[in-house]
Amino acid sequence: MSLPAVAKKDFQDTVRSRGMVVLVALFSLLVAVFAYVIRPQGQADQFATELLLSAFVGPVLVTGLVPLVGVVVGYNAVSGERESGSLKLLLSLPHSRADVVFGKVAGRGAALALATLAGFLLPAIVLVATPVTFNAGSYLGYTVFAAALGVVFVAIAVGCSAAVATQQRALIAGITVYALFVLMWGLFTGRVIGAFGGPIEALPVSMGEIRTFLDVANPTAGVEVLANAFLADQLFSGDQVNQQISAVAMLLFWTLAPPLFGLLKFERDDL
Amino acid sequence: MTAIELRGVTKEFPGVTAVSDLDLTVEEGEVYGFLGPNGAGKSTTIDMVLDLVRPTEGTVTVLGRDATVDSVEIRRQTGVLPDGFSVYDRLSGRKHVEFAIESKGLDVEPDPVLDRVGLLEDADRTAGGYSKGMQQRLALAMALVGDPDLLILDEPSSGLDPAGVKDMREIVSAEADRGTTVFFSSHVLAQVEAVCDRVGILRAGELVAEDSIEGLRAAVGGEETLEVTVDDATDPVVDAVRAVAGVSAVDADTDTLAVSCEPDVKTQVIAAAEDAGAVVDDFHTTEASLEDLFLAYTEGETTPDEDSEAAEATADDTAEGSPARPEEVDG
Repeated sequence: MSLPAVAKKDFQDTVRSRGMVVLVALFSLLVAVFAYVIRPQGQADQFATELLLSAFVGPVLVTGLVPLVGVVVGYNAVSGERESGSLKLLLSLPHSRADVVFGKVAGRGAALALATLAGFLLPAIVLVATPVTFNAGSYLGYTVFAAALGVVFVAIAVGCSAAVATQQRALIAGITVYALFVLMWGLFTGRVIGAFGGPIEALPVSMGEIRTFLDVANPTAGVEVLANAFLADQLFSGDQVNQQISAVAMLLFWTLAPPLFGLLKFERDDL
Repeated sequence: MTAIELRGVTKEFPGVTAVSDLDLTVEEGEVYGFLGPNGAGKSTTIDMVLDLVRPTEGTVTVLGRDATVDSVEIRRQTGVLPDGFSVYDRLSGRKHVEFAIESKGLDVEPDPVLDRVGLLEDADRTAGGYSKGMQQRLALAMALVGDPDLLILDEPSSGLDPAGVKDMREIVSAEADRGTTVFFSSHVLAQVEAVCDRVGILRAGELVAEDSIEGLRAAVGGEETLEVTVDDATDPVVDAVRAVAGVSAVDADTDTLAVSCEPDVKTQVIAAAEDAGAVVDDFHTTEASLEDLFLAYTEGETTPDEDSEAAEATADDTAEGSPARPEEVDG
């Protein structure tokens, strides 16, 4: 079991890339801009942390940008090493191909999570220092959900990376997944439900249930459901518990299934 | 136990057969030189030993284990210097070796092995800034981590300067003395002759020869060529030399005789020439050059195994063009 060694190596390699610095700076800058836009005006000294997160940071940064960054961090994990030849060095050592794929998910996922936390923390330090009431707990908790979403997309991208032979194809596959989940999910689910309107009525489930399932089937929406429940203090309580549990299950599924699927192909390939 | 054993191994890629019905045995503790021109299938063979590529047919056994099923366990006991690899540009040399140590589940210091390959002073620089030769040394250091039972070196001298080639040879010798089995490939024969117990020559995916260097030399022609410079190579002189037992051919110029003969009749050849009235100014012998031998096996239309006369002819033909075996072709 040499997965930790691969994860550590990949983490060290990824955090040293220039892209990581850019990423932290970009996150910090965007959070800072949003925070400035909704800063307390006049006599009010209550800083609307929840508003900042659920109305600005959430839709733009977390559900839009974090998945994209996850794809960028993950897509060349295996295919890039395969093209450059460093995979030969890696597989000269006693690693199974499964250790390579899942070690990379762990290493790069950790690197992205670190970058997300760092990018969110820098503006938070400023917010804490200013004489306004700032809900640090909500803010910190929220960044954990953001990082989790990033890890899911890293896993999807690494899976794509393991399944194809070149970086270019891995990037195309990753961007396609991103476009499907982030940009076109509503359109996609609308079409599916529309097209199967007739058959669905014959099934022993309601249209609403299917819609709920499709909503949380998307990791982006799943994280949104969980993060909003967290901000509303209703995480794993209240009447949405079932939806939250299925969201967690779907997030786990998207973290494990794509790398497994990629591994099936990678395991059979001549390298 | 045999270190590496290939039985009836064939590997087909779409449109090309890289290795064809290959049988190969490397005994434990020996240094085996795997020779062949570029594209002969050496790397494909090594990739099958390391389970990077799976054979279309046949079985590959390494250290008594199945190469595909037990690949991780095999690689735990094997040090590999791959061909055409690249390093992790952003990580230092020391980090690379630490990674190899952790991967092999060991708890040793990285510095001794870095020192051994001559990289200790540059160990904290990022490997992306290393020269090709330094990257080659780094990969060798990673291969040497944990004192492997088997060392597989694919074109180990590529990118190395003469000093690097010498260091590489010394490390191979030291490992061999320690009892490590060494299997290494090269397209330059001069690099393997100094260290190899046995040599296999691969051509177009087939093993065309397998023997010790001396054995190969004998197969291509144990005879030496004696070049005698005389005042005048008259017909009687040539006839007298040709009459000496053990002489197979004499090629005469106006003042030189190129005599193909067995090594122990050289003095008789000189004596016969002088008896026939020639004044011998100078003489020297040339062995069949190893490069010529290699070319005879890898470029000939027929292989020595199939038709030994044709191969000998080829070897002799090329031998005439090059006076002596160049020492240290690649440094």
